Amino acid sequence: MPGVLALLPSYAGLSDPVLDLRLACLDAVSWLGSDVVVVGDPQGCRVGHSLLSAAGVSRRDFVPPQPPEGGSYLVVGNGSARRSEKAPGHLDERSFAFDDGLRAALASSDAGWSDFALGDDLLASLDGIRELLGLLPAGTPAQVDYDDDPFGVRYWVMRWEWS
Amino acid sequence: MTLKLGRHHFPDDATIMMAIVNRTPDSFYDKGATWAEDKAFDRVAQVVDEGAEMVDIGGIKAAPGENISEDEEKRRVVDFVARVRSAYPSLVISVDTWRASVGRAVCQAGADVLNDAWGGADPELVDVAAAFGAAIICTHTGGATPRTRPYRVEYDDVVRSAIQDTVAYAYRAVAAGVDRRSVVIDPAHDFGKNTFHSLELTHRLGEMVDTGWPVLVSLSNKDFVGESLDLPVGSRLTGTLAATSVAALAGARIFRVHEVVETRQTVDMVNTIAGRRLPARAIRGLQ
Repeated sequence: MPGVLALLPSYAGLSDPVLDLRLACLDAVSWLGSDVVVVGDPQGCRVGHSLLSAAGVSRRDFVPPQPPEGGSYLVVGNGSARRSEKAPGHLDERSFAFDDGLRAALASSDAGWSDFALGDDLLASLDGIRELLGLLPAGTPAQVDYDDDPFGVRYWVMRWEWS
Repeated sequence: MTLKLGRHHFPDDATIMMAIVNRTPDSFYDKGATWAEDKAFDRVAQVVDEGAEMVDIGGIKAAPGENISEDEEKRRVVDFVARVRSAYPSLVISVDTWRASVGRAVCQAGADVLNDAWGGADPELVDVAAAFGAAIICTHTGGATPRTRPYRVEYDDVVRSAIQDTVAYAYRAVAAGVDRRSVVIDPAHDFGKNTFHSLELTHRLGEMVDTGWPVLVSLSNKDFVGESLDLPVGSRLTGTLAATSVAALAGARIFRVHEVVETRQTVDMVNTIAGRRLPARAIRGLQ
């Protein structure tokens, strides 16, 4: 899930600009179970913790490089923030191929994806995704719950399950 | 404090737009534009559409003029109140009158609030409010006779006078049986006051809010705005909204207005700045 600050209660308005995303996130974190490790950069982890709290799910903090055994992971990250003229980072045409590639890697659990340098240029949030690609068994299929860029930032809510 | 305005309730953080609807041929701002009943009814429809939660229907202009009998005042407002009540069940209906007999008639017709703009000139008005479960607006006039202009009025401290008189009136209303949640105080800008008095009341409105009674302000296009900016009626909206901002920041709850949309935006913006209201929709920088 993406680390969208608008998901935090402290940034609530009278109407919710990210309602569809919020519902998808809450549905996904509720599915995670009772013991969840949050993976992402510090800001993203705040958002992840907040959603877990909202869903009533307990969580543990992820301390690399030794991932805890068992439980579930909530990975916070997103694609390019430069997908339109009004996007936070303005338009960078490289965003589209970058996000397509990252989405394909996530959907198929391709640990060989390595476009992190371009991701930095595109303001993508990849700390958690880097960890995720290391955790996923190769070829694990993703269920894609949300896939959109309503504010010029690519958001995904995806689920993977493996034993 | 939670407000109970007749049959309507408002939570602690609600602000209310009370739109002025004149059934008069000679009020200072609209100069008879809604004197005809259908025009007044159109005005109600307009302000409801603009988001007003409340209307304040008046049958006598505040300034001196032709004597209007109780019967004539009733002819102007009672049937009109009944018509508005029937058409807009969820609208709060206030009637601007100081007369108990008129208050009784409009409450029977469905009014929720008696706006006693002349500060208790008729002592039986509170009994009418109590009998009908209506709310009452307790204003400060410094003891002015209804429909008179201030002439060389002075106060040792106009804010203290306003607090003492309106709070005393509020307790008198409660003692008469009016629900405590249905009592509102109003410093009554320009009533028994010169411009300096009204400016002082605006500047120090927080002292009235601190009494704990909900505060109504009636600032719209008044002479203290006109004299402050040297502008005639018709050119006072900006000044009115500036005064509205100050009153909203101090915590006023009800705003008696001619311009509903502009005042609502002003009050909402101020209360959002003050942290009493959430932004409508915030995404900038939070994507």
